[in-house]
Amino acid sequence: MYSVIRLLDVVEGDRARVLAVARAGAAATAARHQLVQPTLPGVRNGGDILVHLRFDSESQWRSVETDFAATLTDPAITRVNGACYSGDAARSGVHAGTVYRSLLLRVLPDTEAHVVARFEDELRLMPRYVNTITAWQLSRVEEPVGTSEWTHVFEQEFTDVDGLMGPYLMHPIHWAVIDRWFDPECPDVIVRDRVCHSFCRCDTTVLS
Amino acid sequence: MADGAVFVVDHVVTRPGCARTFVDTYLAEYAPGARDRGMTLRDVLVSPPIWFDDQPNTVTITWSVPSPQAWWEMTWKGRPDSTLGPWWDTIGELVQERTRSVAAAADDVDRLCDV
Repeated sequence: MYSVIRLLDVVEGDRARVLAVARAGAAATAARHQLVQPTLPGVRNGGDILVHLRFDSESQWRSVETDFAATLTDPAITRVNGACYSGDAARSGVHAGTVYRSLLLRVLPDTEAHVVARFEDELRLMPRYVNTITAWQLSRVEEPVGTSEWTHVFEQEFTDVDGLMGPYLMHPIHWAVIDRWFDPECPDVIVRDRVCHSFCRCDTTVLS
Repeated sequence: MADGAVFVVDHVVTRPGCARTFVDTYLAEYAPGARDRGMTLRDVLVSPPIWFDDQPNTVTITWSVPSPQAWWEMTWKGRPDSTLGPWWDTIGELVQERTRSVAAAADDVDRLCDV
C-alpha cells in the first residue's frame, strides 16, 4: 500500500468549507481508503483537518497527485504537515477502531542505523501491550511535507478516544520505555523536533 | 485506572574527582526545577561513599511522582523548557556517562500494566 497523510491548519471560519473541498478532492483520487475528518480535541501540532489516503500503489497516487495538491492551495489553509510512505498495516484486534491516530516524527539525521532499528523495534512493541490498539503501521517516510523532514509515521486505530488517552498514555511501555527516545533529558533521545500528534474519528477501517 | 508511584532514576558516573561538585551542582541547579514540576527527591546515593580525588564515583539520584498521570504532567511541564536538555550539556565536564530510567515498585507492576 502507498499512503498519503496531510494535516491541515485551517482558518477557523473556513473549516467546514475546506473540509468539503478536501473530501471532494480525496474522492476524486479514487484512493482505496479515504479519511478526511476534523481532528479531535487533544491533538498537538496535529492540524484542524486530517486527510489520509491509501492507494494500492505509488503510481496511482502519482497519477492524481497534482490535482489533489491543487485542492490544498486554498488560502484558508495556513499550514500543511504530512508524508507519503509505503507499507502494510497489522491488525491486533478483531474489532474495527473508531479513532485513527497518526504520529509524525523526525529522527535526528546523524542517528546510527542500529539505534534507529532499536527505536523502531520498541515502537512495534506497543500494540502488544496496549490492547486498545486495533490496527497499526510503522513506516519510514519517503516524502515529508511541512515544518520538519519527517522520517517516520506511526499510526494506529484505537477502540475509542478513551483508548488513546487512557491505556496508550498510561501503560508503562509508553512512559517507561518509549518516551526516552523523545525526552531531551535522556541520553537516548533521538527525536528532538516537535512531533505531529493528530487523531480523528474514523467510521470505517483505515489501516488494512 | 492504574496507579502507583513512578520513580525517575538518574544513574551518573562522574569524572574522576568530580562527584562532590556534580552533586552540589545538581542539587543547586537541577533539583529546584524538578520539584516545581512535581517531582519529589527520594535519594542521592554516592558509591562508593568516598569523595574520590582521582577516580569516578557513581551517583544514583531517585525522584518520585505519585502516578503515571503525574509523570506525564511533569513531562508536559518540562518538555517545553528549552533549557532543560541543554542543562545536562553544561555539566558534561563533570559526567563520564549517565542513564535515566523510569521504574516502579515490584508490587505495583501488575496494577500499572492493567490499563
